[in-house]
Order: sequence, then C-alpha cells, then structure tokens
Amino acid sequence: MRDKLLHAPPDFGPFAGDLPRIDDALGRRVNADPESLERGLAQLVLTIVELLRQLMERQALRRIDAGGLSDDQEERLGRTFMELDRRMAELREEFGLTEEDLNLDLGPLGRLL
Amino acid sequence: MIQLYAITDNPGPPLPDVAPLKTVPIDGLAAVCAPAGETEASPEMLWRHEEVVEALMADRDLLPARYGTRLEDEAALARAVEDRRDELAAALDRVRGAVELSVRVAAAGAPPSPAVPPQASSGAEYLRVRAHAEASHERTANAVHEPLAALSRASVVGRPRPPELFRAAYLVEREAVEPFTAEVARLQDAGAGLSFLCTGPWPPYSFAER
Repeated sequence: MRDKLLHAPPDFGPFAGDLPRIDDALGRRVNADPESLERGLAQLVLTIVELLRQLMERQALRRIDAGGLSDDQEERLGRTFMELDRRMAELREEFGLTEEDLNLDLGPLGRLL
Repeated sequence: MIQLYAITDNPGPPLPDVAPLKTVPIDGLAAVCAPAGETEASPEMLWRHEEVVEALMADRDLLPARYGTRLEDEAALARAVEDRRDELAAALDRVRGAVELSVRVAAAGAPPSPAVPPQASSGAEYLRVRAHAEASHERTANAVHEPLAALSRASVVGRPRPPELFRAAYLVEREAVEPFTAEVARLQDAGAGLSFLCTGPWPPYSFAER
C-alpha cells in the first residue's frame, strides 16, 4: 500500500492509530452477534443525537454572532448546551463508547455539519 | 450471485486479466462484474475488490462500485443500471479523466487537546470557548482547502474524525496529480504544526453519486 502514499508524515505521525481502527470497523460490521448488536445500536443512536446536538450548538453560535440575544438569553443557552455536553459524556461512558466511536460515517447526513 | 466492480463506457478497452470479469452492456454503458464467491467479507477481500477496480481504472474511466455490491444475475444487474442509466452516464462524464485523492490534516506532534472544553464557569463562557474553537478550526480548514480545491475539479469535504482537523476528497485530473501533491508538500512546509496525509490515486468513490 506504500504506493498509495503521495505525502505522509514520518511513521504516519498523528495518523498512526488508524490502521487497527480500520480492521476493527470491518470486523464490527461483519460480526453482528447479539452482544455487539446492542452496543452498535446505542452507538448509532448516540451518533445521531450527537450530530443534532452539534448542529444546534452551531446554530446557537451563529445567532449569537448575529447579535440580538440578551446577555441573559446567551447565558441560558450556554448553560443548556453545557449540560447537554455533560449528559452526552455520561451516556457515552455508560455504553463504553469513546468520542471517536460517535464519529460513524452517516453518509450524506454527516455532511450536514 | 454476481458482484459489481464498476460502471464504465461501452465499448471500452479489453478487460484486464485479474478476475473472471464480464461486461454487461446497457445502452452506451457497461457494467463490469464477476461471479461472487461464497467467501466472507474481510479486509483481504476488500483489497481484492480494490485491486480489480484499480486494474480497470488503469486504462478507462469508471464509476467504482462499493465493495459488496451483489446482484442475483446479469439480468438483474442490467435492470438496475437501466433504471438509472442517465444519472450514471452523467456521473461518468463528471469523473472522466480524473482520479480521487484523499487529504487528511491533523495537528502535528502534541496529542490533540480533548474536545471537551475546560469546565466553563458560566453558560456564556462555555459558548465563548466553543466559538473560539470553531473559528480556529474553520481557519485551518480554509487555509488547507482553498489552494487544493483550486487544483481540482470537484471536492467533498468530510467530517473530520478526531484527532483530524480536516478531511476531504478531491477529484483531480490524472495529469494534475503531481502538481496537487506538490501543493500538499508546500502546505506541509508552510503550515505551522500541521501534519498532512495524502493518498491516492483512488477510483472516484466519493464522486460516483451526487
């Protein structure tokens, strides 16, 4: 596969962790046994929730950029998103998922971000 | 069962001798397929699929089929292609003479800082930290993307996966692969603290449908 490298940092630098992940991903997709199925479903649902959370957060940031929100409204919005962020971290932990696990390729949906 | 490798022009050059390939002609297009074995999906089989598509790509333009695209028989394949004939022909025109290059950028050296911002003391502060992170992210992405997009026919910017800061696929003319790679090297030299990974040429997977 070396011939596919047009430009790469020495020893792959920050990308070195990729190779095991690719094998993992394929293995997960292929072996849909009942135990991993539940975790897979949680992963999918949380991925979508996280996508929506990020979308809403971005929209909030744009609204603030555009002005027109009072300090009080900004504070309340900020607290809401901070709380959501914290809850997501808790849910991830509960299902033994990392932040990276919630980065599933959702196809065209993922391009919303 | 047969598996589909690619949609290409008909007539085309002779098929490479890398698999028991067969073409199914459909109104100016050809679907290249082979009998599907009973083997399980595996990384090796995925690379095998890629090898066949790349052997085809060596001397023709094509729309690559995703690994694992299987159909009952040639008649089913012909029906499936006929249904989308114009759409596929237009897509084939879009990728004509070009290949896909993948570019990913990450912060070099130090491990990425956690995406979770430091405990903010107030809602307003939380939003400020987020806005700041987003703006810096956007600056990085634009600085990388704009010069590369200028050298390509089309691009698809993906959602970066941590620790990446940026990922995109570019549809690049075959003759422009070298200048494109040189530009990546230039950005690498210029970009303080960024690490670039550029791979290809790949079949135009990211541009096969739109």
